[in-house]
Amino acid sequence: MNTLLKVDGVHTHIKQYHILQGISFEAIEGQVSVLLGRNGAGKTTTLKTILGLTPASQGRITFRDIDITKKPTHGIANTGIGYVPEDQGIFASLTVEENMKVAMRKEDEATLAKREYILDLFPDLKTFWKKDGGLLSGGQKQMLAMARAFVGNSKLLLIDEPSKGLAPIVIEKVMEAILDMKKHTTIVLVEQNFIMASRIGDTYTLIDNGETVQSGLMQELIHDEQVKRKYLGIG
Amino acid sequence: MTSKYQWNNIFLSIMVIALFIFPFVTDSRTWTILLTQIFIFSILAMSYDILLGYTGIVSFGHAMFFGMGAYTTAVMLDRIEPTIGVFVLSIATGMLITGIISFIVGLLTLRLKSHFFAMLTLALSGLFLVLAEKWRSVTSGNDGFTFRAPEFFKDRMMFYLVVLVCMVVVYFVLRRFVQSPLGHVLVAVRENEQRTKSLGYNTLHYKVIASVVAGVVASLAGSLYAISLRFVNTSVLTMDITLDALLMTIIGGVGTLIGPIIGAGVIELSQHFLSGLAKDYPIFERWIIFFGILYILVVIFFPSGIVGTIRQAFHKRKKQSVGKEEQSNSEEL
Amino acid sequence: MELLTNLTINGLATGMLIFLLAAGLTLIFGLMDVLNFAHGGLFAWGAYSSVWFYALTDSFVLAILGAILTGVILGFITEKLIIKPVYGNHVQQILITLGFMLVLTEMLKVVFGPNQIAVRTPENLVGSWEIGDVIIIKYRVFIIIVGFLVFGIFQYILKKTKIGLIVRAGVLNKEMVQTLGINIKNVFLYVFIAGASLAAIGGALFAPYSGVIYAEMGMEYAILGFIVVVIGGMGSFPGSLLAAILVGLVGSYMAYYVPSLSLAVNMIIMAIVLIFRPQGLFRAKG
Ligand SMILES: Nc1ncnc2c1ncn2[C@@H]1O[C@H](COP(=O)(O)OP(=O)(O)O)[C@@H](O)[C@H]1O
Ligand SMILES: [Mg+2]
Repeated sequence: MNTLLKVDGVHTHIKQYHILQGISFEAIEGQVSVLLGRNGAGKTTTLKTILGLTPASQGRITFRDIDITKKPTHGIANTGIGYVPEDQGIFASLTVEENMKVAMRKEDEATLAKREYILDLFPDLKTFWKKDGGLLSGGQKQMLAMARAFVGNSKLLLIDEPSKGLAPIVIEKVMEAILDMKKHTTIVLVEQNFIMASRIGDTYTLIDNGETVQSGLMQELIHDEQVKRKYLGIG
Repeated sequence: MTSKYQWNNIFLSIMVIALFIFPFVTDSRTWTILLTQIFIFSILAMSYDILLGYTGIVSFGHAMFFGMGAYTTAVMLDRIEPTIGVFVLSIATGMLITGIISFIVGLLTLRLKSHFFAMLTLALSGLFLVLAEKWRSVTSGNDGFTFRAPEFFKDRMMFYLVVLVCMVVVYFVLRRFVQSPLGHVLVAVRENEQRTKSLGYNTLHYKVIASVVAGVVASLAGSLYAISLRFVNTSVLTMDITLDALLMTIIGGVGTLIGPIIGAGVIELSQHFLSGLAKDYPIFERWIIFFGILYILVVIFFPSGIVGTIRQAFHKRKKQSVGKEEQSNSEEL
Repeated sequence: MELLTNLTINGLATGMLIFLLAAGLTLIFGLMDVLNFAHGGLFAWGAYSSVWFYALTDSFVLAILGAILTGVILGFITEKLIIKPVYGNHVQQILITLGFMLVLTEMLKVVFGPNQIAVRTPENLVGSWEIGDVIIIKYRVFIIIVGFLVFGIFQYILKKTKIGLIVRAGVLNKEMVQTLGINIKNVFLYVFIAGASLAAIGGALFAPYSGVIYAEMGMEYAILGFIVVVIGGMGSFPGSLLAAILVGLVGSYMAYYVPSLSLAVNMIIMAIVLIFRPQGLFRAKG
């Protein structure tokens, strides 16, 4: 088992606020690692810190044995990390095609093959290929955001709450897609929907008040009613 | 808070006493005129500081209010009669007019974001300049007109003292203003307008108040300026006036009130000195370049200006020696 | 008829010059969220350097290339030294770019002397065509053609190339563009340099058009540029063309019929747009 991403004792300040106060976890190659925690726990900030959008003030982040803690965002992305933000970050007045194209550093065989694969996974995107991203439905935007991150030759995808605000049937589709993408890439997933998280996650990391509380196998958490009640308000 | 103002007070008292004594110990006409000029621009720069330093607004139209004051005083002294009574009345009238205009302008423009506001004020003051150039029956256009000042001011020294008193009074009034609860809201607007809004303040109202206060004080400066020259033309409405106020405020230290006074001194003195040098070295005819470069360096490296930077150093030292956590008071951009 | 044609051609030509100035302003604003108050300085430097190159080489093409070179160099310096330290801080940006405008203007006087300089129209562009009883001045038509040409080229780059795509994406969401592995700082620099060059071309074309250049022309035309950017909608490239044509035409007609109001009218249009439609006249979304 190969550790792809290692977050070690990370602290983050945004302006004068001390938001992350000790986050540690690992993402194993080929697995889905889920970040859990209630609203405002610091999950989104953790992803942004990995990407250098809100750089860590302390601690160390390594990806494929490269220290990326101090790298600029674009440099981090280019080491092979893709990002699907909470608000999807679709370029509203760019077409679906153009949205994908911004992410494609090269247009070689491999990248085009990846694009082919992901479009087969999300046929809606093919249908609306020439339509402006801003005109897509919530679920389609989510798919576009995932497809876009995937096509950028990412070895690791950071996906922030993909089920947020979607209808159950669409959530099902997105979940299937993530399980399929898992065959090709490693995933760090932030997910509040515990049913979804428990079905696709291999490992979990529980975050509360900007700190890692515990990590472990998802299978174990599913049966740990006490932790679930205390930190996730469920069970 | 107290220590900052204690330091200020001691410094100020010494300065003010020295300045009051000054005309009695020397009879240098040049210096009297130069210092008078500095006081007038100190008033203008302090008014600008209310906008830029305390509320975080960049206006490119401040000359508008300065010019209105200047024209009001000039026109009234010229058309009615050159007496102290009319002079005082003209100042009041000028302040009233600028008060009303800055209120309307503020209400219309201050809801805009900083960039747009800056541009709009630039355009509006351009508009007023055009208006003054075209409204020849009142302003005599570009050529301007001379007028007689009240007899009382024939003595340069009297005028010097009056302007000095004005400056000191304006300083204390504005200091009270920025220390009042209202002033604290202005600082909150500067620091984070969105947050101040979410705390339930109607930030537009506070910004309008700031712009009215700044406008009215600028008008006073304009009135005094007109008297000092006994002449007025459209140059009082030009961008140069606004730029002067801006430079003085930034170089002296934004959000400090005392900074703009020092800035006015620095700029007027070096302008005087550099244009003196121009006789021998033509490059100094372009003294504005030096200010431009100085100003850019200040904005990048010392955004809190002379006074702000000194205060920060002072606070750092104190913090180290006392060793207690104290929120830095120094107001930065 | 003749009068109207001439006023229109005149207005279009002025509009194109303003467009060249405003195009850079609007792109820089849209992408970088920077309003460059020094932009007029680049326009003036373009004018002066083209006149200088023209005197040196006697070739108008080389003169324009010289102006572009000046634009590229000054754009590079401005972005690196003036804009970069204050990204994200609007108040500082406004203050510092204005200060730099002062320096650019005064530097012109140091380098080229404080007096205004008379400029000749290049040999092969002198003169006019007569169509019926309408006289059309060649050089003005030339400006209009160059203006549309530049618009076409930039529109092509924005719509059809990868860098153009990245710029458009960056205007919409800078953070996202970075997370897709693009160094937005470099893109900023390219766009700034492109904008500076456009302004310099505008200045170069302006010189023979007005017949005289002077240091303050930068600020004068920058104000028209700001007006156009506001009317056209900040960040909208086609919007700035339409707005520039509008401002040029209004200025031209007014200058003839109500000369005292010509500048005022454009300012009033801008004030009204800012107050009632701050996203601009020609842009649907905010
Ligand atoms: N830009 C910011 N400024 C101030 N506080 C922030 C900022 N971004 C996030 N926070 C705070 O950090 C905490 C964690 O936020 P976030 O990472 O978005 O939580 P989560 O994604 O787990 O819901 C929250 O309390 C939030 O208010
Ligand atoms: Mg979140």
